[in-house]
Amino acid sequence: MDRLLEGAQVIQQGAEARVYKVSLHANAAPILLKHRFAKQYRHPTLDASLTKARVAGEARALMKCLKSGVRVPGIRMVDVENGCLGLEWVEGMSVRKVLGSGEEGEELEEVGVGRVSVGEFGIGLEMLMVLIGESIAQMHLFDIIHGDLTTSNMMLRRVSKPQPGSPPAEIVLIDFGLSFMSTLVEDKAVDLYVLERAFASTHPDSEPMFAKVLDAYAKRSGKAWEGVKRRLEDVRLRGRKRSMVG
Amino acid sequence: MPVLLEHLWYANVRTDLQTVYIALFANVANAAAIRNRIVAAASLRGEEGERERNEINFAFLDARPITSRLHISTAIYQALVAADQGSLRTKTVHSEILWTLNPSNNISESIKRFGISSTSTSLLVVHVCSPVNAGGPAPAEVAQRLRFIIRGDMVDLDAGLERVTDWDLVKKYYKLQTDPVISALSAKPDRSNREKERELVNELVVSAVAMKCVMS
Repeated sequence: MDRLLEGAQVIQQGAEARVYKVSLHANAAPILLKHRFAKQYRHPTLDASLTKARVAGEARALMKCLKSGVRVPGIRMVDVENGCLGLEWVEGMSVRKVLGSGEEGEELEEVGVGRVSVGEFGIGLEMLMVLIGESIAQMHLFDIIHGDLTTSNMMLRRVSKPQPGSPPAEIVLIDFGLSFMSTLVEDKAVDLYVLERAFASTHPDSEPMFAKVLDAYAKRSGKAWEGVKRRLEDVRLRGRKRSMVG
Repeated sequence: MPVLLEHLWYANVRTDLQTVYIALFANVANAAAIRNRIVAAASLRGEEGERERNEINFAFLDARPITSRLHISTAIYQALVAADQGSLRTKTVHSEILWTLNPSNNISESIKRFGISSTSTSLLVVHVCSPVNAGGPAPAEVAQRLRFIIRGDMVDLDAGLERVTDWDLVKKYYKLQTDPVISALSAKPDRSNREKERELVNELVVSAVAMKCVMS
């Protein structure tokens, strides 16, 4: 395990995990490896069982998405003992970067990566919002709650074999570390609310953009939309957490 | 002549698991004999038994339920991890590959479905061993040993699998016939849908194999 990570390229470092780009065997296509490292601040026994449960949970959520027609990275390897989850390498760019121009945009811009506009993926801004709304709706239709919807957790990828009449790019949802299953409109509404806040805090003039996301979501969800819509209005008034008073 | 015997090298496991050879055979004429030989070797005693077991120390798979290079190599990697950590559910790393491929936990079912049968005509053969510089066999030696065992033609892995994969069988084994997304595609079987369906089935089975250890 250590030898796999040694010399591997670190893509991202978080509090829970480090993400690497690695090859499982010499000359293999690269995969994304999410390593939930041991936490020194937790008792080792507790840490081991939490890590195992989270790796397993994330893998199961991804599998559920794959089976439900939600585009997510495929699973390539699971090593619960070492807290490792290997996923399909998604060649694309996060929606956050595609939208760029956010206040925090500068610090996110990696060295050597110029600003990329949505046009380079062959779609317009409006289509991008439609694709986002549709993929979230599809996920919610199958009762999967992402738990951390942000524009950084959505990748835009070119379609390998574009079909006439369908867009040449697609949204791939990533990072299901906080996901869970739920049929409640509350959980779906909060999922959308979290994304709305993320849009508002990272992209200027996000309101019309997010409205397009909701339009597409509504269209794809059908009957389910009414309930979610009403609850989303409540959630906007009170925030993400339910009041515990009374 | 192209190199048909695949030779993979894994740096991050125990030395005796670091090298993996994969070969695909088409037009196999003696599957029944090979299968009998494997069964007989298991119960042979003494030195002769050791020698015979060593001789046929491969994973012999029926190639029909294998969808792609990624499918088999994912199963191999998960088996290597289990062997490396001493958590094999079956006796050897070779049988573990068969077990990893099967979605259920039933060992004999996995052998029946993914192992060689007396009617197999396409065989996928896997051998896990030490690298050559640590005393493992060289590719030429492995290829030679396989030619002694199997009467058939060694073919290119990717192109060969494309010809022999039995997609209906794959869908049956991985319980994908009733899957809503898959059945929507197979309801209108034009060419682009069939391609999409196979891509999706491949993704689902690869992911299922990779996550088998945390499935239940």
